[in-house]
This record gives sequence, structure tokens and C-alpha cells, in this order.
Amino acid sequence: MYFGRAYFSEKMLGQGNEGPSLSPAVKKILAIVPAFNECGNIGRTVEEILKTAHGVDILVIDDGSWDSTAEEARQAGGMVVSLPFNLGIGAAVQTGFQYAQRHHYDIAVQIDGDGQHDASFLDKIVGPIRRDEADLVVGSRFLEKTGGFQSSFGRRVGINFFVHLINALTGVKVSDPTSGFRAYNKKMIALFSEYYPHDFPEPEAIVVTQQAAGRIVEVPVVMRKRGAGSSSIRYFKTLYYMAKVTLAILLHMIRQRRYEA
Amino acid sequence: MNIHVVAMVVSVVIFLFVIDLVRRRRLTFKYAIAWLFVSAGAIFFAVFYKLLFACAAFLGFELPSNFIFFALFCVFVFLSLLLTVFLCQQNNRNDIMAQKIALLEFELKELKKKLKVE
Repeated sequence: MYFGRAYFSEKMLGQGNEGPSLSPAVKKILAIVPAFNECGNIGRTVEEILKTAHGVDILVIDDGSWDSTAEEARQAGGMVVSLPFNLGIGAAVQTGFQYAQRHHYDIAVQIDGDGQHDASFLDKIVGPIRRDEADLVVGSRFLEKTGGFQSSFGRRVGINFFVHLINALTGVKVSDPTSGFRAYNKKMIALFSEYYPHDFPEPEAIVVTQQAAGRIVEVPVVMRKRGAGSSSIRYFKTLYYMAKVTLAILLHMIRQRRYEA
Repeated sequence: MNIHVVAMVVSVVIFLFVIDLVRRRRLTFKYAIAWLFVSAGAIFFAVFYKLLFACAAFLGFELPSNFIFFALFCVFVFLSLLLTVFLCQQNNRNDIMAQKIALLEFELKELKKKLKVE
């Protein structure tokens, strides 16, 4: 704890002194792509981001994969950080925030490595942050009738449950709280590089953002069915996932607020 | 053989074992202290077992053995909770270190690449 915290709070102090040296149009953007055994998908994902979004740096977090994920991502042209063992999606994404924080990125975009997220929406997702209308932007499948992959019925019931739970507890209205297609500004990068929920972080991260008085905006996106391999949340695990995230969110409400905006 | 003697011998052995573990640096003081207190308590009650019986009677246990089981149960629940806290802390630190190592490794590679080019 001490190790990480001391370092990052020091970094955060330095952040205020930079000033607006860059013109507001030029923003350094980092695409954070968490990947765990995504060989067969990760190469395409990285290539797609390179093709559709110019001037975006891609950081693939290889979360202790034992297949050729890291090699594939590197060959496709991404920067690859390999965690020594599997830490889970939350800690993997957090590693990306830590990198973004250390290298002073203005915007971080989280894109899944399994090919579900269409990189052509990257500009759209970054938009509200460029215009300084949001601290966290969530790409939503359900905001508009956009078609595309809408998840299975069981999964949608679960997602709906979180929509209502988050709304009841925090007053925030999001239509797709489990979406991992997101954009974060500097404030969120600083916050999440120090504290980011582990395991199944997406719904919890919304609660954290709200508690840190962050502005949340949703943008409609189209998602695809994932490519090769299986999702980290398998069908029979959906119920377990729901119970766990619910408990995590409830625990959040009684937790000491260690993080500040 | 007298049951009190057995109880006394066992608790003294545990106490000495903990001290030996500390001496050989297999246990640090931080983690040994809880065990030292528990085993010291065991010795105390093995010697002054009448006090133990009085306590049991005072608290309303019909059999002193039930009181012993109950007390031991409480102690172990507390100890395992304490250990879970330590475990959790270690787990957090482990994660932070893994993240830092991964980032440092990446930056080291990048630096080496740059140096080679120049």
C-alpha cells in the first residue's frame, strides 16, 4: 500500500504545475486494451484501432496470459505491458491508468481485447471529454436502438438490475453499466491509477466516479459478438457475478472515502 | 496421569514452540504476539484451573469443558480474522508490486531499444 500510494500521490502533486501548455485541440490519447489469453483476437483489435484512430497510442495489458497474446499484440503495433501473473481485469486496466498517469496522457480509452468493441466509435466516445462535458464516458449498447450485439436475455436482465441498483443508490442514470468501452479524462486517470475496483470493476467504477463528483456521460455505440475464445463472464457465472457486484457496490456505500477528486 | 498436568505440559510446549519460532526467525514479533498471548493464557488457566471453573460457573456454563471450548472457539475466530486481514494486505501489496514491475519492465525495454538505435 505504502509503496504504491507514496509514489502516486507524489505524481499527483506534480500534475497541477504543468499548466495548459498544450493547445486544447491536441490531446494525448492512450487506448488501454486489457487482454487475457486473447490470441486470435488481440492482433485484429490493435490493427483496427491503429487504422481507425490516428495519433492514439495503444497499450495492451497482457494480464498473465499463457498464450501468444503479448507477441501478437506487439507484432500488430501495440505497446505491451505484461503482468507477471493474472491479476484480474480491474488491476489490469488500472495498470493502464498508471501508465497514462506517468506519461501525462490527457485521455484514456478502455477497449476490450476480445474484438467486441468497434474502434470506429473511439472518436465519438472521446468527444464529451474533448469538449470537457464529462470526466467518464461510457459507450452504451442500449441508449439508442442501434442494433448490433445486444447480449443474451439473461445477461440483459442482469444489466437491467444494475441500472436500477446504481440509480437507486447514487441517482446516476446509466443504461449500460457493465460496458467496458469507456473514456476517462485526466482527473479520472489520476483517481483510478490510485484506486480502481478489482474483479468485475465496471459497475463499481461508476459508483466510485459519482462519489468523487465525476461527470458521467453515455454515448451510443454498437458492439459485436466477441471473436475467438470465451468471455471472462461465462453463462452460468452470471448470477454469481450479479451477487458479487451487488455486494461490492453496497460495501462501497459504507466504505471510508479514501479517494478524493 | 492427571489431566491438569497434561493441559499444563501441552500449553507450555506450545508457548515454547512459539518462542523458538521467533528465535529462529520463522515468526516475526508482529505475528507471534497473538500466539504468545493465547498460549500464555492457556498456561495460566492450566495452573489456576480453579479460576477457570469459577469463571465458567459465573458465566453460567454447566460444564467447565463447554466454557473452554467456547473460549477457544472465540480465540480462533478472532485469530483467523486477523490472519485474513494480513492476507488481504499482502494481496494488495502483491498486486501493486506486480503492476509496478510490469510497467518498469516495459519502460526498461523501451529504453534499451532507444539506446540501441542511438
